[in-house]
Amino acid sequence: MKRPTTGAAPGWRRIVFRYETLLVVLLVIEWLVFYRFGTSTNRRGIVVGFGTMERQFDILRHSCEIGLLALALTPVILTAGIDLSVASVLGFCAVVFGRLWHDAGLPVWCAAGATLLAGAAAGGVNALFIARFRLPPLIVTLGTYSLFRGLAEALTRGAVTYTDFPVGFLFLGQERWLGLPTQAWVFLVVALFIWTLVHRRMTGRVFRVIGFSPEGARYAGLAVGRTTALAYVMAGAIAALAALIYTARLGQAKADAAVGYELFAITAVVLGGTSIFGGRGTVPGTLLGIAVIAVLKNGLAALPAVIRLNAAEESAGLLTGMLLLVALALGAAPKLLSARRPRTPLPENLPIPKSP
Amino acid sequence: MSVPPLLAFENITKSFGAVRALQGVSFDLRPGEVHALLGENGAGKSTLIKVATGAHVPDGGAIVVGQRRHAALTPSTARAAGIACIYQQPALFPDLTVAENLGLRLEPAGALRRVDWRGRRVRALELLRGVGAEFSAEAEVRDLSMPEQQLVEIAAAIGSGARIVIMDEPTSSLTRREQERLFGIVRKLRDDGAGIVYISHRLEEIAELADRVTVLRDGRSVGTFAADAVDPPALIHLMVGRELSQLYPAAQPASDGIGVEVCGAGCAEVGVADVSFAVRRGEIFGLAGLVGAGRTELARVLFGLNPADAGEIRLEGRAVKIGSPMAALRHGIAYVPEDRRRHGAVLELPVSHNITLAAHRRIFPRGWLDAAEERRIAEEFIARLAIRTAGPDAAAGTLSGGNQQKVAVARWLAVRPRVLILDEPTQGVDIGAKAELHRLIRELAVTGLAVILISSDLPEIIGMSDRIGVMRGGRLAGILPGGASASAVMTATLGSAERKGAA
Repeated sequence: MKRPTTGAAPGWRRIVFRYETLLVVLLVIEWLVFYRFGTSTNRRGIVVGFGTMERQFDILRHSCEIGLLALALTPVILTAGIDLSVASVLGFCAVVFGRLWHDAGLPVWCAAGATLLAGAAAGGVNALFIARFRLPPLIVTLGTYSLFRGLAEALTRGAVTYTDFPVGFLFLGQERWLGLPTQAWVFLVVALFIWTLVHRRMTGRVFRVIGFSPEGARYAGLAVGRTTALAYVMAGAIAALAALIYTARLGQAKADAAVGYELFAITAVVLGGTSIFGGRGTVPGTLLGIAVIAVLKNGLAALPAVIRLNAAEESAGLLTGMLLLVALALGAAPKLLSARRPRTPLPENLPIPKSP
Repeated sequence: MSVPPLLAFENITKSFGAVRALQGVSFDLRPGEVHALLGENGAGKSTLIKVATGAHVPDGGAIVVGQRRHAALTPSTARAAGIACIYQQPALFPDLTVAENLGLRLEPAGALRRVDWRGRRVRALELLRGVGAEFSAEAEVRDLSMPEQQLVEIAAAIGSGARIVIMDEPTSSLTRREQERLFGIVRKLRDDGAGIVYISHRLEEIAELADRVTVLRDGRSVGTFAADAVDPPALIHLMVGRELSQLYPAAQPASDGIGVEVCGAGCAEVGVADVSFAVRRGEIFGLAGLVGAGRTELARVLFGLNPADAGEIRLEGRAVKIGSPMAALRHGIAYVPEDRRRHGAVLELPVSHNITLAAHRRIFPRGWLDAAEERRIAEEFIARLAIRTAGPDAAAGTLSGGNQQKVAVARWLAVRPRVLILDEPTQGVDIGAKAELHRLIRELAVTGLAVILISSDLPEIIGMSDRIGVMRGGRLAGILPGGASASAVMTATLGSAERKGAA
C-alpha cells in the first residue's frame, strides 16, 4: 500500500513491492489456470475456450454490476464508512424501473431516468442518517439493507417479474457497441468519473481527510457533512445504474436481483488495497480487485470439477474469501516486518530549507 | 520534627522529548499534615503527581516511601505503599453501583473469585457514612453529581487504607457547603495521621487548610514554606516571580483599522458569556487565564465550532455570522487549535496536503488539482517557516511537535487570513522552535493580521502581547496593557475570593 517514501528506495523496488503488482500477478495466475483447465459452453451451446475474445466479453458483461457497486463503494470506504445496502438498492431500483415502465406506462428512457433519481434518493436516506444524524454507517446501512430489499418485495408482492423490455433497452445489457459489450462502456465512464473525483478533485481529498480524521477535517473548515452525504447519494445513484444494466442483461426485473452482490463489491474494494479504516486507497486498485474477482467467478464456473459438483457460487465464495485473507496478509507483511525492526528516529540534523 | 516523612521526592527529573517538565524537584510529606502544592499551568504539578501514582517513570532522582527508596513506582507499588490520588475528574465506572465501584477498587482481584455481595454492601455503607455521604450504596454512579462521585473516590481512598492522599483541585466544582464538608474530611484524615498533598488554585483555601506550601515554577521547586508565613500576594510572587528569561520580538505599532470586534458574544453550550473586545490589524491580543477559564471555548465560538448564540462578531467593521468553520474560513478567520495531533494536523497525510488543506481554492482552481501549485505552496511554507521535514511528501506524523505546529500554522497562512487565533502555539515545543514561532507570530502581525494569542505560558503572553485579556469563568475579566507585570496578570487570572456556584 502506498506510503510516503522518505527513504531513497530504488525505483524498481518501489514498483515490484507495490501492492498493485501483487494483484496483477494474481490476475495472471488465475487466468493461466483457467486457460489450462477450464472449458465452457456459451449461450448457444457452443464450446468456448477461456482464451477466446468472446469469453473475455462474457467476463466483462457479468462483472459490470459488481464492478459498478465496487466503484460506488470506494469513496464511501475512503471516508471510513461502509454501505451494505447497495445491492438492496439495486434490487429496489430494478423493481421501481419495472413498475414505472410496465405498470405506469412511462417511456423506457424516462423510466430509466426516474430510476436513477430513485437510487439517489435511496442513497439520500443513508446520507441523512449518517451525515446528518451522525449514526454509525454499519448499522444505518444494515437497516437500509433490509429496508430496500423489503420494499422491493412489497412492490412486487414477492411474485411479479417484469419482462418483455424493448429491444432498444436490452441493447444496454446484451449487445456490443464499438466492439465492446455496451455496459462495459457505461462502466468505463463511471470508472473514469470516480477516478477523477477521487484523484483529481477537491472532493477526493476531503473523502480521505474525513477517513483519516473527521475532527481534523472539521478544524480545517472542510465540508464534512456535505461530502460524506455526497458519497452515499452517489452510491445510491450508481446502484440504480447497475440495476438498469442488470435488468437489461437478464431481460427481467425481480425483487431478488443481485442478492449478495454487496459482499463481492466490498471484497473487491478491500482486495484492491483500500483501507477499511478509511483514508487510504485508489480507484485503479479497486479496478484490479474487481478484475481478480470477476475472472475467478467466471473461471470457476467453467472448471469441470466445479461443474460436476454444481458448486460455482459456493466455490467462488470460498476462494474469494481466501484470496481476500491472503492478499491482506501479504499487504500487511512489509509493515509487520518493518515494525519488528527498531524504528530509527528522524535525524536531528535534517537540512533546514533555504529561504527562497 | 524528627518523624520520618511519609513520602519524599529527591531531585526528581522528567523530560518529555525536549520539554523538561521536572528539573530536580524535592518534596516531602509528613504524617498528619496538609501540604499544598502550588504553581501556574505547566509548572510541573501534574507530572509530579503522576510520578507519585506510578503513571510516569522519572528520568532521575529517588522516591522514598516509608523506609524504602524507589527509582520509580508502578501503579500497583504506589497503591501498595498507600498512595491514593483523587483527580479532578472522578474515574469511576458510570454504569456500576457505588458498592460495585468500591468493591472493584478494594477487593482482591481474581476472575473466579466469588463476590461477597453482602460484605461488599456493608463495607460500602460504612465507608460512605465515614465521608458523610447521603446517597445509597446501590445508586448507579452515573446518577451521582460530580461532588458525590468525588466522595466515592475519597471513600475508596480511605477504604484502601491510604496514608498518602493526593487531591488535585478537589474544590473546583464544589459549592461552599460541599467544600466545607470536604475540608472536614481532609482535617479528619490529617488528624488520623495521614498526609495530604493538596493542589488548588484558590489561594485563600491554602491559608485555611494547609500546614505547609511548596511552590513549583518551570519544573523546579521554589521552596517550601509554613502556610501561615506566606500571604497570597507573596505566593503569587513566588509562582511567577522571574525575569522574562527570553527575548521576545519587539512590539510594532498596530494600525488604526479594527481587524475583529467581539461585542457581548457568548455561547451557553460551552459556558462563554458576554465577551467584548476588539483587536486592531497588526495587533497581538493575548488571552490569559487558567485551564478551563473559557479561552479555548471562546476561540471555538469565534471559529464557528460552537456558534455564538448571543452578541455579535464584526470583521473590519462588518457584522458577520460565523455558523461553522467553513463560514469562518470564508470570512478569513483562522484557528490553530491546541491539540495539534488530533485537530491541527492530519498525521497520516503528507506535509504538503496538510499545508494546502484549507487553501483548496488555490490548488483546485476551477475544481481541478494543480499538483505543481500544491508543491510550490508546500515548498514555499516549508522554507518560510523553516519546517524540518524529510520532504513535502513525508507524513505529518513523522515530524517533531514543533514542526507539526508550524505545519498547522502554515495551513492557515496559505489561505491568507485576516484574523489568526493561536491556541497554545508553543506548548510542548522545544526552546529553539519556540523562539522561531514567536518571531513568526510577530512577523505575521506586522503584515496586518489581527492575532489572538491564547497561552498559559505567562512570560510568553506578557512578552508577545500588545494587550492582554484575562478570562475567568467564561467571561473576560479584564484587559491589561502589554508589558503588565506577571503578578498583575496572575492576580487577575486567579481573581478575588469569589466562589463559583454548584456545578
